[in-house]
Amino acid sequence: MSKKYSIFISALFCGFLGLFLVWHLILPDQTFSPNENRVLQSLPAPDFGSMAFFGKSGNFFNGAFMKDFEAYVNDQFPLRDKWIGLKAGAEKLSGKSENNGVYFGTDGRFLIAGYPAPDQAQVDKNLDYVAALGEKLQVPVYFSLIPGKSHVYQEYLPKGAPVGDQGAVLEQAAGTENVHWIGIDGKRYGDWDQALDYYTTDHHWTTRGAYNGYRALMEGMGLKGVELDGLTTVTEAFYGTTWSKAGAYWYSPDAMDIAVSDEDVTVTNFFDGTPTEGKLYNYDKLEQKDKYPFFLGGNQPLCIVNSEKPGAEGRLLVIRDSFSDTLAPFLTQNFAEVHYMDLRYYKASVAQYVEQNRIDRVLVLYSVDNFVNDSNLFVMGM
Amino acid sequence: MVFSTPVFLFFYLAAVLLIYYIAPLKWRNAVLLVFNLIFYGWGEPIYILIMFLSTAIDYTHGLMVEKAKTQGNDKKARWAVAQSVVFNLALLFFFKYWDFIAGSLAAIGLGFMPLLGLRLPIGISFYTFQTMSYTIDVYRGDAKAQRSVVNFGTFVTLFPQLIAGPIIKYKDLGDQIDHRDHSTEKFASGVQIFVVGMAKKVLLANNLGQLWDAYKAMPAESLTAGGAWLGVIAFALQLYFDFSGYSDMAVGLGRMLGFEFLPNFNYPYIAQSITDFWRRWHISLGTWFREYVYIPMGGNRVSQGRLFFNLIVVWGLTGIWHGASWNFLLWGLYFGVLLILEKGGLLKVLEKLPQAIRHIYTLFLVLVSWAIFAIEDFGHLGAYLKAMFGMGAGASSPVDGYYFLSYLPMLLIAAAACLPLAKTLWQKSGETARKVALPGLLMAGLVLCTAYLVDATYNPFLYFRF
Repeated sequence: MSKKYSIFISALFCGFLGLFLVWHLILPDQTFSPNENRVLQSLPAPDFGSMAFFGKSGNFFNGAFMKDFEAYVNDQFPLRDKWIGLKAGAEKLSGKSENNGVYFGTDGRFLIAGYPAPDQAQVDKNLDYVAALGEKLQVPVYFSLIPGKSHVYQEYLPKGAPVGDQGAVLEQAAGTENVHWIGIDGKRYGDWDQALDYYTTDHHWTTRGAYNGYRALMEGMGLKGVELDGLTTVTEAFYGTTWSKAGAYWYSPDAMDIAVSDEDVTVTNFFDGTPTEGKLYNYDKLEQKDKYPFFLGGNQPLCIVNSEKPGAEGRLLVIRDSFSDTLAPFLTQNFAEVHYMDLRYYKASVAQYVEQNRIDRVLVLYSVDNFVNDSNLFVMGM
Repeated sequence: MVFSTPVFLFFYLAAVLLIYYIAPLKWRNAVLLVFNLIFYGWGEPIYILIMFLSTAIDYTHGLMVEKAKTQGNDKKARWAVAQSVVFNLALLFFFKYWDFIAGSLAAIGLGFMPLLGLRLPIGISFYTFQTMSYTIDVYRGDAKAQRSVVNFGTFVTLFPQLIAGPIIKYKDLGDQIDHRDHSTEKFASGVQIFVVGMAKKVLLANNLGQLWDAYKAMPAESLTAGGAWLGVIAFALQLYFDFSGYSDMAVGLGRMLGFEFLPNFNYPYIAQSITDFWRRWHISLGTWFREYVYIPMGGNRVSQGRLFFNLIVVWGLTGIWHGASWNFLLWGLYFGVLLILEKGGLLKVLEKLPQAIRHIYTLFLVLVSWAIFAIEDFGHLGAYLKAMFGMGAGASSPVDGYYFLSYLPMLLIAAAACLPLAKTLWQKSGETARKVALPGLLMAGLVLCTAYLVDATYNPFLYFRF
């Protein structure tokens, strides 16, 4: 290697390091990553405390500063999303059918998050909490689990992919005592329209999927489901969380639809425990990357939906995860009052709530993925 | 700090190179010393104190040894060497083996040693061996004692090889600490080796590591013969590219700073016997044990019984050096026995067999050894070995098929990278072709590695545990 060429190679390397160092330094810090839906690490300040390694020292001498600084460099790295996309592309190119735990569906359309076999002890415990709730309450308790994409779209998974069996959980859940089990496996309830339907880039069911779930639930409760009267698309640019996780930038976005008018409906949100006026459809949320909170407004401990639609009567409590957001518009057609309770944030006695609000039916509705891993369901036994 | 993070590459290394080359020649060791300490203290600041203590003790003992020698007082010199060796071994023992011994004793009802639960200071197995070699080399007259405490501190803490080797003996580095050449040719060659090492670690080792993780976590009842072999092959490739990638990065970084380290690997998987394998795998550790343990014990100029004893001791120690756990001891002894067999005549038999058989023989035994190395729990190890030898859940399963197909391109690339193929091709291609291809390859390597580093939370270095 000649001297000149060596200088060129050295400059190339140092230039690459220097370019991203300088870029990183001058790039204004972001506070939030819409793609990852989380707050990013900001530049930490070193605290030297008493300049001692022992005892009460600042974040510098106990190493916390370094940890934060490292997270800061990672989180604020220039072109972060592009790098993650490049890695996803390289994985696909190298023959992988999975990236960051998400499978590239063999049909070419669906991104399917993997489902690791759950901890059986947690599953047993959670089912016991549901049974305990059923025993405790005087009103009827209905229980249903929504299978995930890895179950419903099994045929689109790469052959032999190591995915847990949600069918086993559904079967076990169907035998839960003291409650009325309602199976909403799309295949079994396929006599109207079609099976469960999910977004290609998100783990949630679509409005059509929620409609089919609604029909199954109504039948299970002995009520009459309202016929679907066409869908109206509200956005065609929904990139879901599975898309973000996979970094699979080459996938097309989903459309998001509504099927039920929000007339005669009032929504009360309890984001921080105090009531605020909410909406069934939050059009402002369609402006952001995370568009799913379009329905009901996003994660909250409690949300009450009142309906004066013809035929709407009775008070239903839904103990739920985010899948119920899409279901809420359909339930306004049958119930005058639906209380949506999220036990990740709501930590008071369910039995007391049922009594105080004169609830006449309770529905425990979770997606299988959330149900098997949730460690907050003990609240049901309180 | 670890090499495979954006903070190392784009902040730490960029700053080191900038300030190191701005600094006048006589300040460079001091600059390096400060950066070395930042590097070491990054994860666990309190353990910088070990660096200070190690430097102070070995520095003074080196001078004591030399002084006693010039006075002709051999006994005093030996005494000083012993003190420094005991100090280094005590350091290693305290942090690495205390809990292991306490736990093992407690398991047989002798729980008089309390469990300390100390976090292992990163790289302690590597740097205690390096500093130990210093006073011994001074005593043997292989190296002169270092007068400057800054220079000595730079040797003890030298960041490129501080935490995962290669294990550099003072006699090989002492002169370079005092004086080394900085040339752009050396720097540019360092860049190439560094990028190759990083690609080995980030693109190959991490990737295949995920395959091994899948098989390591698989319950025994679903392990098939095909799956167990696929898993252990993935581990063999992961370990090699992880460790040799780290060594390459160390050599490359060393050259960028003007140092020349000895290579640590020489295509180990093309070895034709276990003896050959150990001349090619982790060379710096093998040399260390040979020079400081095996030869002082008499080496091979002893009776056959004594020779076998020496080999068992050396390989038991080599095993337990890799980690404070019984499976590592077993792993070392496994190699000790194989080497004894080869020395006892097997090697002569092998020489008469076709080359293909010699390769199969070596790879088979090495792969079995990696299963022992990788699985600490003896119950699970037994089940894994059983599966490897056909006493598992059948020949193969659909899950094995999935993993095999998903990783097939990576496995083929990695297998090819175990051979001197790319090196030969590179050397055979003309100078012009190399000049045209190099910038493209370098940038491709840097860009791809950056993508994986930014994406990854998955990049622990395997050899950190040791």
